[in-house]
Amino acid sequence: MLEYIRHWLEKRRGLKDGNWDNLPSPKTVGDQLLSEIRLIVLDLETTGLNPGQDEVIAIGAVAITGGVIHLDDQFDLILRRPDLDISETVLIHGIGPEALTQGHETEDALLYLLDWMNGDPVLAYHSAFDQKFLEKTLKQQLGYVRSHVWIDVADLLPAFFPNAQTGGKGLDHWADFFGLEVSERHHAAADALATAELTLVALNRAGKDGVKTLKALSDKLRYHRQLQNMKRF
Amino acid sequence: MAANVDSQRPQNTRAIMGFLREHAPFSSMDDTHLAHFAEHATLRFFADGDVVLSPDDGTVKRFYVVKQGRIRGERHNEKEDRTETTFEISQGECFPLAALIGERPTRTLHRATGDTFCLSIEQDAFITLFSESDPFRDFCLRGVSSLLDQVNQRIQSNAMASIGSSNSLDTPLERYALRNPIVCSPDLPVRKAVARMHENNVGSIIITDDNRHPTGIFTLRDLRTMIAEEKGPLDTPIRQVMTPEPCRLSAQSDAFEAAMLMAEHHFAHLCVVDEDQRLIGVVSERDLFSLQRVDLVNLARTIGTATHLRTLVSLRSQVSRLVDAMLAHGADSGQVVKIITTLNDVTVRRVLELNIKKNDPGIPFTWLTFGSEGRQEQTLLTDQDNGILFRTPEGMTEEQVREKLLPFAQTVNQELAECGFTLCKGNIMASNPKLCLSDREWDDWFIRFIDASTPQNLVYSSIFLDMRAVFGPTEPLHELLEKVLTRIRKNALFQKMLAGNAFQRKPPLTMFRNFRYVNDGKKHALDLKRQGLAPFVESVRVFALANGVETANTLERMEELARKGVFDPKDANAWKEAYSLIQAIRMRAHQEMLDRGEELTNYIDPDDLNPLDRRILRESFRQAQRLQQKLEVTYQL
Repeated sequence: MLEYIRHWLEKRRGLKDGNWDNLPSPKTVGDQLLSEIRLIVLDLETTGLNPGQDEVIAIGAVAITGGVIHLDDQFDLILRRPDLDISETVLIHGIGPEALTQGHETEDALLYLLDWMNGDPVLAYHSAFDQKFLEKTLKQQLGYVRSHVWIDVADLLPAFFPNAQTGGKGLDHWADFFGLEVSERHHAAADALATAELTLVALNRAGKDGVKTLKALSDKLRYHRQLQNMKRF
Repeated sequence: MAANVDSQRPQNTRAIMGFLREHAPFSSMDDTHLAHFAEHATLRFFADGDVVLSPDDGTVKRFYVVKQGRIRGERHNEKEDRTETTFEISQGECFPLAALIGERPTRTLHRATGDTFCLSIEQDAFITLFSESDPFRDFCLRGVSSLLDQVNQRIQSNAMASIGSSNSLDTPLERYALRNPIVCSPDLPVRKAVARMHENNVGSIIITDDNRHPTGIFTLRDLRTMIAEEKGPLDTPIRQVMTPEPCRLSAQSDAFEAAMLMAEHHFAHLCVVDEDQRLIGVVSERDLFSLQRVDLVNLARTIGTATHLRTLVSLRSQVSRLVDAMLAHGADSGQVVKIITTLNDVTVRRVLELNIKKNDPGIPFTWLTFGSEGRQEQTLLTDQDNGILFRTPEGMTEEQVREKLLPFAQTVNQELAECGFTLCKGNIMASNPKLCLSDREWDDWFIRFIDASTPQNLVYSSIFLDMRAVFGPTEPLHELLEKVLTRIRKNALFQKMLAGNAFQRKPPLTMFRNFRYVNDGKKHALDLKRQGLAPFVESVRVFALANGVETANTLERMEELARKGVFDPKDANAWKEAYSLIQAIRMRAHQEMLDRGEELTNYIDPDDLNPLDRRILRESFRQAQRLQQKLEVTYQL
C-alpha cells in the first residue's frame, strides 16, 4: 500500500501544493442505479470517541461496484501519528506505537484516500461518528472541506429487515444475525469488509423491493428514520 | 521472512488466504497463489433461493468458492417432471469445474440455499492459478476424486509407517519383473529338472508342452514331499510327480488377484500367460511381497494345514498384523475386507476339516454363512452367523440327520468362538435346530419368509438374504438361491416391504448437511456401520434381489446392477467409492483401537477426523442419501 501511494504521489505531484481541483468532486444523490454504482464502505479506528479531542489512527475501506465487493479495490492503512497518546485505544484496537510508526505520512495517505474514493457515496456503520472524524481530519491536515454523501449502514439494515430479531443494534448483532465471520474485529479493514458484506445483503433486498436508484434508497432511509422518530414519541 | 511478507498484505487479503487455507485444494497451494486468488477475488452475496449460475448464462467465465452458506444444483427430471437436487456445495467448496474447464455453459442450475456469500475470480486469474499451481490444476481436472486419492494415500502412509514398503497391489503383473521362467518338457527326469533349477537358483520349474502351454509345475516343496514320502526314484519322469494344471493368470491381472488366488489355493507360484495361454513368466509370492513381512499366502497355508485348534487360535492374531500390511501395500478397503473374509473362510474350513477328521457325522453338508460374512464384508470385528444345508440321504428322516449334525455343529461353533468369532447373540448358528435344515426345509422356510413376511421378520433380511457357501458342495445352495430369487422377483409386495425397511436407515446427515449423531449419550459419535454402511448395504440388497443378482457382496452387487442397466454406471461408481471410503475409515479406526488396546467399536467422532476426511465422509453419506432417493422413487415410498 505504501509503495503504491508513493508511486501515485509521484505521478500527481501537483496535489501537494493545495491544488484541490485535481481531486474528484463528491457526487450528489441522483438516479444512479444501485446495480451499477460504486460505493465506498469505510471504517475508522480512533484514539477515542470524542471528535473534538481524539484522532484517527487507521482507515480501512472497501469498494462495492455493481453490487459486488472487489477485493482489488480497497484501502487499508494505519496513519502515522506518533505524537498521540494512544494508551486508551490500544486496549480496544490492539494497535501499539510500533505498528503506528510503520504507517505513512498522514497528508499523503489522506490525499490518496480522497483520490481513491473518487467522490463516491460513503457508507459506514454508525456513519455519523466516522463522518465527523474523517471530515475533521481532512480539514485539519489538508484544509479540505467538501462533503461526500454519507449513508449509515446501521439505518440501512433495519429499513430493509424491519422484523429481524438481532438482539441489538450493533455491527456485531447484525453480523451474527447473518452468520458472518469477521476476521479480526476492531481492525478497520476487517470491520469495513463486514460492513460491506451487510451492505450487499441490504442491496440484494433493495433490488427485490423495487429500490433501484441511489435517490430511492435515500428516500427510503429518510422515511424509515421519520417512522422511527414517530415511534419514539 | 514469510511472516514479514504476510504482514505486509492487507488485513482482508490475509483473512481470505486464511479462509482458503482451511479447505482443500487450497490447503496444499503455495501462499503466492493464495494471495493471487485473494487479491483478484470479488465477494458476492446471494439470498436464499437466488440463482447463482444458470445454463442460460452462456459460457462460464468465473470460478466460485462458497465462503458462507450453501449452493445446490438443480436439474429438471424430464421423465418424472420434477426438479431434483443433484449436488450440494458447502463452505470451502468450489464450482463450476467441469463447465469452466470445458469452456461451456453449466448444465445445472446453481441456486443459493440460505444467505450465501461466494468468493469468485475471473477466468484470467483462474487460468493463472491453473497453469502455475500443481495442486490446483490436479483438483480442477480430477475433482473430488483427487481428494479421495489424498485420503487413500494417507491411509496407506499411516499403515506404511508400521510396515515399510511400497508395492501397490493394483500393479498389473506384467509390470513385475517377471523372471524368464525355467521350463522343461514332461519327460525330463526329476534329477535333471532339479539340476536345472539349481543352476538358475530358482525354487520352481514349469513343465510345458510343445506350444509352450504350461501343463504342470514342480517346486522344491514337491521335491521334499517326493523324497520324504518315497514316491519314486530321481529318474522318474517329471510329469509323474509334478502338480498338473498349474494356476494361471493373464499379464493384465493385478497383484491383488494373484495374491488372492495364492491364498485360496495355498500356492506360492503362479504362471503368467498371454492371450493364447502361452507361458510368459512366473510370479512368486516373494515377488508380490518383496519384504516377506506380508505373509498372506503363508498365513493362509499355515491356517489351512494347522493340525490343532490351539494353532488356529494363535494364528488369528496375525490376521490383524496382515491387515496393517495390506493397507500399506495399497490394498483398498474392498480388497482388505475380502482378504479378511478369505482368511476367515480358511479358518472356518480348517475347523470343520479337523472336526470331521476327529468325529465325522457321516452326512455330507454345506456350511452356510450369512450377513457380513455372507457378503464377504467382514472386518476385524466379527461374530458368527452360520447354518447348515443338507440333502436328506435315502432312508433317513430330517430329524435323524439333525441328531447327527447338531452335536457336530455345536463343537464347531464353540471352537470358532475360541478362534475369535464371537458366538452369535441371536443364536444364528448352525447348532440351532432351526438353522440346520434340508434343502426342502430351507425352501419352505424362505417361502414363509417371503410370502408371509411381517415387518418384524424383515429384521432378518440383512442376515438370510446375504448368504454364501463356505464348505461343502455349492450346488444345493445355488439351486436354493435360484428359487428364492425367482420368488422375490415375482413378489412386488415383499420388495416394497424390503425397500421400506431399507429406507428406515437414514445416513447421519441433518437437513443442513451437518452430521447427525447417534442418540445414546455418546455425544459426538457416528456409528459407521449402522449409519454409514447399512444404508448402502440395505438399499443395494433390495435392487439386487429384485433384479436377480445372486452375489451377496455389496460392491459386486452394484457392479452387476450397473451391468444390467438398473444403476447408471456413473452413479454406481460414485456409490462404490463412497461405500469403500466409509469402510476404509472404519477399518483405520479399528486398527487404531487395536493399537491402543481398546475394544473394537464402530463409533467414531468426526471431530477427530481432519477437515478433508470429514468433508469426504459427509459427501459419502450424501451419496447414500441419493441411493435412498432412488429407492424412494422406484418403490414410491
